[in-house]
Amino acid sequence: MELRVIDKTDEELRMEVAGEDHTFMNVIKGALLETDGVAAATYDMNPEQSGGQTEPILSIKTEAGVDPLDALGGASRDVQTTVEDFSEAFEAAAP
Amino acid sequence: MTNDFEVEFIEPGERSARFLVRGVSPAVANGIRRAMVADVPTFSIDTVRFVENSSVMFDEMIGLRLGLVPLSTPIGDFEEGDVVTLALDVEGPATAYSGDLESADAMVQPADENIPIIELKDGQHLEFEADAVLDSGKSHAKHQGGVSVGYRHLQRVEVAGDAGEFEEQEPNILRGVIEEAAAEHADADADATDGDLVATDAFDNDLTNRYPGKEVEVHDVPDAFVFHVETDGSFSVEELVLRAAETLGDRAAELESKVAI
Repeated sequence: MELRVIDKTDEELRMEVAGEDHTFMNVIKGALLETDGVAAATYDMNPEQSGGQTEPILSIKTEAGVDPLDALGGASRDVQTTVEDFSEAFEAAAP
Repeated sequence: MTNDFEVEFIEPGERSARFLVRGVSPAVANGIRRAMVADVPTFSIDTVRFVENSSVMFDEMIGLRLGLVPLSTPIGDFEEGDVVTLALDVEGPATAYSGDLESADAMVQPADENIPIIELKDGQHLEFEADAVLDSGKSHAKHQGGVSVGYRHLQRVEVAGDAGEFEEQEPNILRGVIEEAAAEHADADADATDGDLVATDAFDNDLTNRYPGKEVEVHDVPDAFVFHVETDGSFSVEELVLRAAETLGDRAAELESKVAI
């Protein structure tokens, strides 16, 4: 995973997340949308054959006073706890 | 975020299982599914050095077949890119099976013993050494540990009323798993109670078998997914699911640490 910031203001972030695909991008987008202070979050990805930008680009807009990078950090923390909780619940239920 | 997961096994199994997960968002459910298919690495033969091949097939064709033999992949002991050598030496007349492969590492063995590689006639000889590499399904489908991985919404079936008395009832086909919400009408199953999870195969996938003469309504249960997971034998379903979840968590941790800088 390689991060390249394209645009960054106080309330907006556009960043390339090289080496990732829908598997992770959609999960992190979902977590961002549930993070407090995030006004909008999405990612864009083009197919390999398109010839242009093929690495996913993550866009985040936040409400005043929330740094988008902090929001992203919080969302990735949330993904980790979600996954841990899921694994725990799964292990407990496994026969 | 609320993470109240509830997992319940509907059909437990080593290589194939069905389980219900409640409280999972569609994004996470799909993330785990995709990770099971493409991100959990398994061993698979990648390079073959032929000593002798007088069979009727070209080296390349045998190489392709070897790549498709699932090899057991123990947890934690290997890293992506690790190589394990396997060898085979069979002389005709005989059939070379996956079970004839001899591995340099006792932990990495063919998951099935009886996959035919090629039938050798009298005088034909197949001998080679092969390198199995640990890699993920993203690079080649032969490294996919999950062969058939998917999910459906859990479906709740409610009886809305009686079907027209003199009408011929059309079959009402439904596949997946239902959550019983009209136990008193489930004529075929006397012990049915509300909240039961019933695989639709139990009533031949036809709701009119279970609720004869009734008009039913089917609704998806939000945030409840029934996963069907089948592995190629490289590891158990349980390991596959846990490893897939782990790869997602690892990437989130990587992102968190990179964002913090």
